[in-house]
Amino acid sequence: MTEHVFKILVTGPFAAGKTSLIQSVSQTTVVSTEVDTSGDESDVKPNTTVAMDFGTYAMDDGAIRLLLFGTPGQPRFRFMTNILKGDVDVVAFVVDAEAKGTHAAAGVELRSLLSDLEVPAVVAVNRCDDPGVAAKVARRLGARNGERIVPCQLVDPDSGVDVVIEILTTLLESMDDEPFEVATDTGETAPADGQQSDRVEADVA
Amino acid sequence: MSAVPNEMQSPGPGAGQAASDWHAPSVASGFAPPPPPGARVDRTRPTTVQEALDQLTVEIPGARGAILASVDGFTLASSSTLPHDPAHAAVLAAANGLALQLVGLTDGQQLRQLVVDHDQGLLLMWPIGNKRVVALLTVSNVDQARLRGYVRAHARLLAGDS
Repeated sequence: MTEHVFKILVTGPFAAGKTSLIQSVSQTTVVSTEVDTSGDESDVKPNTTVAMDFGTYAMDDGAIRLLLFGTPGQPRFRFMTNILKGDVDVVAFVVDAEAKGTHAAAGVELRSLLSDLEVPAVVAVNRCDDPGVAAKVARRLGARNGERIVPCQLVDPDSGVDVVIEILTTLLESMDDEPFEVATDTGETAPADGQQSDRVEADVA
Repeated sequence: MSAVPNEMQSPGPGAGQAASDWHAPSVASGFAPPPPPGARVDRTRPTTVQEALDQLTVEIPGARGAILASVDGFTLASSSTLPHDPAHAAVLAAANGLALQLVGLTDGQQLRQLVVDHDQGLLLMWPIGNKRVVALLTVSNVDQARLRGYVRAHARLLAGDS
């Protein structure tokens, strides 16, 4: 039996619910780097992740294994995201629906991450029960059309499984896509890019 | 070695003269770079964390710089010998977080120090209480016992509960 191992990057802004997600779904002891917060951040929550979280989720007797790498949320720890994002298969982007003040910066982060990694994403909209509200939050983040959007309540341990299901579905879809990407690779380069052809014409003139 | 007790003797800031009977050890030649122009290095017992870190870089031969950071990645002070870069404290906090995990991995209970031994010297990181860490950038052959003695003598000040 072949074992399929996938690396999932769990990221998103400070206090969105990233550590809660990993702790609620991991089947192995979570490696966590939580420490006491200080300053203004201690008004939001008492602990924060400073390096990474690590958890796993396996199904089909281990035929499929998800390795969940969680990042810190604060911009000062962005270097950890840069370390952890290599070879990621899916980005799970967690955002707190109620913390509207975080959405603008989260949107910038999500878009830059996706344009950089070019992998599918699941947007987990925490503290949200309504799919319509979740979709609206995801739109505010500037999610492209492809992301799966899942409302969740990550304080509830069962809710994290909904996010994992979306991750697995996304993985299955992206596996289906792969042969097509290879097939269309050659036909896509020249004609689609308008700017490039303009420049060529200018050179000719 | 001085016999001055750890506790601050002066009642408050600005009363630094109270400790003027204390003699700082002479600066050993060679290792420590001279303080940059404008650096305020007090030879009396430091009353602020900044002063303590600056004095450390002067008194301990081969100590190039020191940073005090919160465990959640904020710079609390750094010696004048170092450029201020907020990323330093965040990297130290992340390293501390991972080091604590490594301690747990090997059934330890308490992190005593993190040592990064590299081609240009050492980075020694020590916990100060459980909310702060101090990182010391030194030459490879620094007198670690003396360094530890200095930090221990100023631990209360560095911990923020003096």
